[in-house]
Amino acid sequence: MYGDTRTRRRERLDVQTTLRYKVHMNSPTPPPTADEPLASPDEALALIREQQRSVTERTLGGVPWILVMWAISWGIGFLALWSGYEGGNPWFQIPFVVAAWVFGVLLVAAIVVSAVIGARIGRGVRGASAFGGVVYGVSWSVSALSVYLIGAAIVRAGADASLMSLYFPAAFALVAGLIYFMGAALWRSIDQLVLGAIIIVTGTAAPFFGAPTNNLVMAVLGGGSFLIAAIVMRVNLRRR
Amino acid sequence: MTGVTDLDPVIHAAARLRISATLASLDEGDRITFPRLQELLDMTAGNLSTHLRKLEDAEYVTVTKAHQGRTPVTYVTLTRRGRRAFEDYTDALRALLGGEK
Repeated sequence: MYGDTRTRRRERLDVQTTLRYKVHMNSPTPPPTADEPLASPDEALALIREQQRSVTERTLGGVPWILVMWAISWGIGFLALWSGYEGGNPWFQIPFVVAAWVFGVLLVAAIVVSAVIGARIGRGVRGASAFGGVVYGVSWSVSALSVYLIGAAIVRAGADASLMSLYFPAAFALVAGLIYFMGAALWRSIDQLVLGAIIIVTGTAAPFFGAPTNNLVMAVLGGGSFLIAAIVMRVNLRRR
Repeated sequence: MTGVTDLDPVIHAAARLRISATLASLDEGDRITFPRLQELLDMTAGNLSTHLRKLEDAEYVTVTKAHQGRTPVTYVTLTRRGRRAFEDYTDALRALLGGEK
């Protein structure tokens, strides 16, 4: 159809001024070079999808690792606490000091990993959405500090350690869940909405089990949901 | 529908299509630094500049230079016109594919 040289020559001229789109393209085309007009709409759409998938992967690719880090931090950290309290883990006990250290170190590690990977997401981008990202980032540290200070005030007012071991995990979970809700609203992410809901339910339910069983609830439900969220997000990123 | 349509020739080229797609994936009004854009596209600086100039000539992107302390930073942003052109372009592609089937 496009075999004769006259058509070819006309086409070459067309390249300069307009598109080169042929509906009935049967002959195989070489892959497009940088400035060459694309042959078919399929090819163009595929190129858009591939590029936008690559951008998502390169910006959000690290987020599942943040979630994995929180899964480890909650899963192992709260299991350690549960095994550190008297009347907790029936299979083995570890000294409470060790449990507290394990919990603390894993928590700090998760915060550091989140901050480092999180800072790389919006790298090189300025504007309206950057503001949202900064507010989101700041809300983590502000609310964590606030939960800690409120706890300190309650201790000062005379609450004993076993009561506080109910307060701290629940309060942190509530705050974390709400921040995931905020993330869901900012980035229109159902994944984050679901994760936020599970974390809030976990944090709210855990104190009803009493201390130290609340730590087991936090480890299994909280740690488990972070792990599932990490896997779901990884799969979604790849599929996009 | 005829075989030849009026797909926007500024966007309808592999490199500029990828640039537009990348910029369109940012929120409206966001700007991105030149090196980060280059990274997301795997393009050489020279190649990217060339195509950005063509997009700039069509008023689809604006390139601004700012200073962060003493280092100059180049920002690229999709203009409202550019965003609309990209949306029209993808709509046209879909219409073509729909019309073909």
